[in-house]
Amino acid sequence: MSGSGTPASGVITSSADRMVGMEHAEVRYFTSYDHHGIHEEMLKDDVRTRSYRDSIYQNRHIFKDKVVLDVGCGTGILSMFAARAGAKHVIGVDMSSIIEKAKEIVAVNGLSDKITLLQGKMEEVHLPFPKVDIIISEWMGYFLLYESMLDTVLYARDTYLSQGGLIFPDKATMYVAAIEDGEYKDDKIGFWDNVYGFDYSPMKDIALTEPLVDTVEMKALVTDPCPIITFDLNTVTAADLAFRVPYNLTAKRSDFIHALIAWFDIEFSACHKPIYFSTGPHAKYTHWKQTVFYLPDVLTIEENEGVSGWLENRPNDKNKRDLDINLTYKFEVDDPTRRVDGGNCSYRM
Amino acid sequence: MASQSQNTQRLPEDAHADSRSVSDESDSSNEEGWEDLEADDESQPVVDLFSDQVFPDVRSLLKECKEKHQFDLLKIQKDLDLDFLDTIKLVNYVRSEVKSGNKIPDVSSKSKFADDVYMKPVLEDDALLYSLDDITEEQGEEAAPGSEAERRVQELQEDLERLQTQFSEYRLAVQQSMEDQLTKEDDKLDASAPSGSSNGATKAQEIDEDYFASYAYNGIHESMLKDAIRTDAYRDFVYENKNLFKDKVVLDVGCGTGILSMFCAKAGAKKVISVDNSNIIDRAKEIVFDNEFGDVITLVRGKIEEVTLPVDKVDIIISEWMGYALLFEAMFDSVIYARDRYLAPDGLMVPSHATLRIAPYADPDFIDSHINFWQNVYGFKMNSMLLKIYDEAVVRGISSSTLAADSTIFLPLPLHTITVDELSFLKEFQVTLNQDIDALDGWAIWFDMFFMPSRDSPIPENAVPSDMQKKGYVAFTTGPDGTETHWQQTVALIDHGKHKPKPLKKGQVITGKIGYQKRDTEGSRGLRIGIQWQGGENTKGEQKWGLQ
Repeated sequence: MSGSGTPASGVITSSADRMVGMEHAEVRYFTSYDHHGIHEEMLKDDVRTRSYRDSIYQNRHIFKDKVVLDVGCGTGILSMFAARAGAKHVIGVDMSSIIEKAKEIVAVNGLSDKITLLQGKMEEVHLPFPKVDIIISEWMGYFLLYESMLDTVLYARDTYLSQGGLIFPDKATMYVAAIEDGEYKDDKIGFWDNVYGFDYSPMKDIALTEPLVDTVEMKALVTDPCPIITFDLNTVTAADLAFRVPYNLTAKRSDFIHALIAWFDIEFSACHKPIYFSTGPHAKYTHWKQTVFYLPDVLTIEENEGVSGWLENRPNDKNKRDLDINLTYKFEVDDPTRRVDGGNCSYRM
Repeated sequence: MASQSQNTQRLPEDAHADSRSVSDESDSSNEEGWEDLEADDESQPVVDLFSDQVFPDVRSLLKECKEKHQFDLLKIQKDLDLDFLDTIKLVNYVRSEVKSGNKIPDVSSKSKFADDVYMKPVLEDDALLYSLDDITEEQGEEAAPGSEAERRVQELQEDLERLQTQFSEYRLAVQQSMEDQLTKEDDKLDASAPSGSSNGATKAQEIDEDYFASYAYNGIHESMLKDAIRTDAYRDFVYENKNLFKDKVVLDVGCGTGILSMFCAKAGAKKVISVDNSNIIDRAKEIVFDNEFGDVITLVRGKIEEVTLPVDKVDIIISEWMGYALLFEAMFDSVIYARDRYLAPDGLMVPSHATLRIAPYADPDFIDSHINFWQNVYGFKMNSMLLKIYDEAVVRGISSSTLAADSTIFLPLPLHTITVDELSFLKEFQVTLNQDIDALDGWAIWFDMFFMPSRDSPIPENAVPSDMQKKGYVAFTTGPDGTETHWQQTVALIDHGKHKPKPLKKGQVITGKIGYQKRDTEGSRGLRIGIQWQGGENTKGEQKWGLQ
């Protein structure tokens, strides 16, 4: 199922693809070779890996003789990019036991003297250098922040990054847009109304609160995208990761709106020539796909009409790895049969 | 998939990882665990390095070791100039050597126990490890000559600080390894099965229950209900055989959302008792109520082995217990328990038969994209990622074109009579290649299910679901020939090692043996599959795979 990384042709394609869209715990449950699967999926995410490679290899003048810290190094690929680009030394830190594999990989590639790999929490490991010149990290999760390592990167920045040091990547912007997704919403949410002739509505309420990580087709977009927040990693603080921001969406055509979707763009602005990649529906497939939030209402919207509201995100109090997301939406038109005033839905991922 | 919660693996170790405590359950009054341990560890009983004997404190242990085993920890520590972490490794090294039978471990040099593997405690909650800083400190005090008292005090304070740092590093390492363990356990976690609180739900349990209650939940049940091959088969059997269910008492083992129970109720069952040990049963109760089956269906939360049912015997047991490769998750043990305990002598098992099948697998494209991939990843060699890929069987949907021979049944399971002992087995099989292949890449395993309407109706020896369907019986396959189910197929990849695999010709007969063994570690429900095979001169091998 990982490795089936082909762009989906519909909003959802096959059952295999649907599994890729499942929550982490389920993917684990469904794939026995998960440890491989996850790393294989990430490495095979060409948009992701190539962007990092290019931003490092095209900037050898920046990396030459620098001390580099790779936060959440995984199999060590970014550390090796940095070492090959001429870094004086690279420190890779990861909590996972994958670091044992990374050590072997680094050794096989003859880079052991250039790369030090440490297993542990960033907050607790002892680095061989008091300060680093560059931080590289692939910290992004679904919906940018789900199970993300951004707070760890920020800790590393505050603790180890020297004055004037660089972060790769250093900018992340989140977007929302509205989509027509009747068929799949029906399959996903409406399904519970009639399961083999039985009323399963108790499951429906839960289903609505689950954002869905999935591939959305460009043509499903009813509105233009709206950027909602940009994180500049040079200045952002952990507190900023809980936020409440407004959005405004204008319909490009008359259609129905079943869901809002969110995605993010990543920028390596410290590069000689900035490098970007997007995880949006208009861009090439990435393993982050998009995140779909089904609305309790169906909005009947006409061209140039607008939907607006607020998106609030914060880590769950009880379980920090979860996100509590709240969406409000207002659809202010004169037609009382179509108008929605106080739309509100809470999600957890 | 098995939806009854049987998950007993939320053991105290897991709780420790989350509550950051290394003491055992008796320490539950102390949330912070660590701080307190340092204060009262002198009175902590400690297990001998060379036997199972328990000493009231570390000092008497060290004395014993010195006198009886000529093992003077403090002297070795001094002679080899061991720092705190070295000493930890020394202790674990000695313990692991003794455990493996070497009563006189070689401690002549530091290199003997330099390996990081000795960071991992051999004993859980090894009080000796947590007392090391104290004994080192005492050692220092004893050695300090009076005249230099002040300087020594200062040195000792520095030492203490250093030790405290090292201790917290070690604490992290331990915690880390526990967290890794926890992650592994999580991986195995049947997502439908947060463990019911056994004795005193821990914080970690609560978090996990909450976690699954919030979402992983729906997904798993959705994918099961939407697995139409599975759900249709149960529905068809129940609805097409309403006469069997009319006025009967039915037990649904692992009822999940209650769908099978409702099929039975709708088919006229007098009473349905539905048991599940997962939180999902709360949803099932709502669903059953909403569908107005409240007076027919009784939902009972708990393990079938532990709950008290309102009846002594039932006429029918219905259960969807099948796991990957049929027996992964081992929920079938519970169904057998229920059968032997509750099913009336002439009672019916639904489904009634299962067969396990195997076929040789040859899939150069898969090998290329998942195995050869690691040989060059953006210009780097990552072969070491392959080391474990052959240890675990892979669950995936494969095309029937990747099967190099017709499949063969290696275990028929008559569900009315099979015993738990028969679920661990070694069986012979034979297949004949129906095409030339460049390499035997592995073995594909799957199962077929049959729903016979009476406990006296057998299935033919080589029963094929599609044939049975034509005869009017309900049956389904999870093989690559049928519509894909959520069980997909289980693929065991062959590790050819350094040898280039040899091509095989059409008509080649391969004989072999396949064994299933339950992997019973601490209530985990893993499965170990072993296969031996031989086909002419070119092909011979033996390998074991886990499934978790």
